[in-house]
Amino acid sequence: MNEMTSGHTVSAYNDELKHINQLVEQLGELGRDQLRRAVLSLREGDTKAAGQVIDRDRDLNDLDVQADEAVIHLIAKRQPMGKDLRDILTVQKVVSELERVGDEARKVANLTIHFYDQDKNPPNGQMLLDIYKMADFVDCMLHKSLEAFKQLDLKKSLDVIKEDDNLYEEYRAALRRLSTYVMEDSRNVGCMVDVTLTLRALERIGGHAKNIAGHVIYLVTARDVRHESLATIRAEVLAADPN
Amino acid sequence: MFNSFSQAQSTMVNEAVEAPVEVKRHASIHREQTDTVGEITVANPRMTCRNVDVFYSGSQAIYNVSLDIGKNEVVSMIGPSGCGKSTFLRCLNRMNDTIDGCMVTGAIKIDGQDIYKKSMDVVPLRAQVGMVFQKPNPFPKSLYENVAYGPRIHGIADNKEHLDHIVETSLKRAGLWEEAKDRMDQPGTGLSGGQQQRLCIARAIAVEPEVILMDEPCSALDPIATARIEELIDELRENYTIAIVTHSMQQAARVSQRTAYFHLGKLIEVGETEQIFSQPKHKLTEDYITGRFG
Repeated sequence: MNEMTSGHTVSAYNDELKHINQLVEQLGELGRDQLRRAVLSLREGDTKAAGQVIDRDRDLNDLDVQADEAVIHLIAKRQPMGKDLRDILTVQKVVSELERVGDEARKVANLTIHFYDQDKNPPNGQMLLDIYKMADFVDCMLHKSLEAFKQLDLKKSLDVIKEDDNLYEEYRAALRRLSTYVMEDSRNVGCMVDVTLTLRALERIGGHAKNIAGHVIYLVTARDVRHESLATIRAEVLAADPN
Repeated sequence: MFNSFSQAQSTMVNEAVEAPVEVKRHASIHREQTDTVGEITVANPRMTCRNVDVFYSGSQAIYNVSLDIGKNEVVSMIGPSGCGKSTFLRCLNRMNDTIDGCMVTGAIKIDGQDIYKKSMDVVPLRAQVGMVFQKPNPFPKSLYENVAYGPRIHGIADNKEHLDHIVETSLKRAGLWEEAKDRMDQPGTGLSGGQQQRLCIARAIAVEPEVILMDEPCSALDPIATARIEELIDELRENYTIAIVTHSMQQAARVSQRTAYFHLGKLIEVGETEQIFSQPKHKLTEDYITGRFG
């Protein structure tokens, strides 16, 4: 229980806030696990595992609905103010981001099934290397953003936002590399489109991690930095936490 | 409720029948420095309070409070029980004068005039700064007389027609006219709680105040009656300045433009209501509005 969820005169209020924060943690774990499994299924060509990832997306959706209901009940019952209000608004947004992470992971799993369906020729393994690299990168970002949320850590949030720029550079570089395969052999174009869409899905997961980091900054500082430049966000973070 | 008209009269609306009490002043009072967070001043102040201290029989209840109350704005005062918000409100029309051993220091001005100066007559002051209490306290008289009483004793009405006009206008502004117009000769005490409170507001309005003080005006009312009073407060803002003490933070958030948070006799923070309830700057304010104490 962090300072956001504790200390209320009504202890049931603490429990309710703790509960919705736990739902975020659960969703975060599940979202990351879905991503890892989806990428592993692609690496191993395991269509069965990919199918499981797709099925398990329902669990994420259920948790999303559950968290939304808990938030609505809490608003109706407690009329939260100040940081409590920011906390539950942030929870609602973070939950939504994580649900979308699950959707993107499902897209990766779909690619596995598409590539390794019995009737098709498997793709050139070299073309998939950037997917694995980017998947590791966005998993780290997601992990760090969830840690930032759990620990209300502004510095980690700022790191994630900075990393999103690097991720975008990686994404652009991966697209350039992919285009060389098409130049070599135009028959690679179908595979390139699929890989591009997967890279795009991973890039979006990085975007969701960045958004979560932005929500954490709002939660702690009460400043909405979603549409601010990195320099402004850095200044906000420094003003709130000079260390 | 009052047992007799004379009892009600003595407690009622602006306590108009009382003789003004001279307020003791000490020039050399030890003043604890308090740093209120937020902007205490406004561009168009109706009332200005500076370095207000209040003592009850020697013990200090309010510490160095400075606050402006702007024209046509609703200022709400919130804080835990015993924090001094009602005491401060009562300073604004010298209601504390009626309490033995109460001493107010500092400067409180309305339109630039010191309300605690010796020459100030509290009777017109309390008409100028009207008050509505927690429990509706209509006179055990007809609806008409409840509203007409103030203008009559203050000599506001020129004749019967003028008085009728004042009564009608006041009841209309208080949102009670439609319910009251066909029963003007019936006793005010026969109304529902919410209607009684609106009658008390009409009574306060009838003497043409500039400022209306409200001390938890809805705490004895049901949610529907509360909603009507809150709507009324918003409408009254067009013509009056309103200072309201409330225990309901949601009410403060709904009706006021500025909110002042009191704690242990000190004004901790004041600011735009939206800011106070979404991103208060002081930890005590944050703890109070999020239900962590109080």
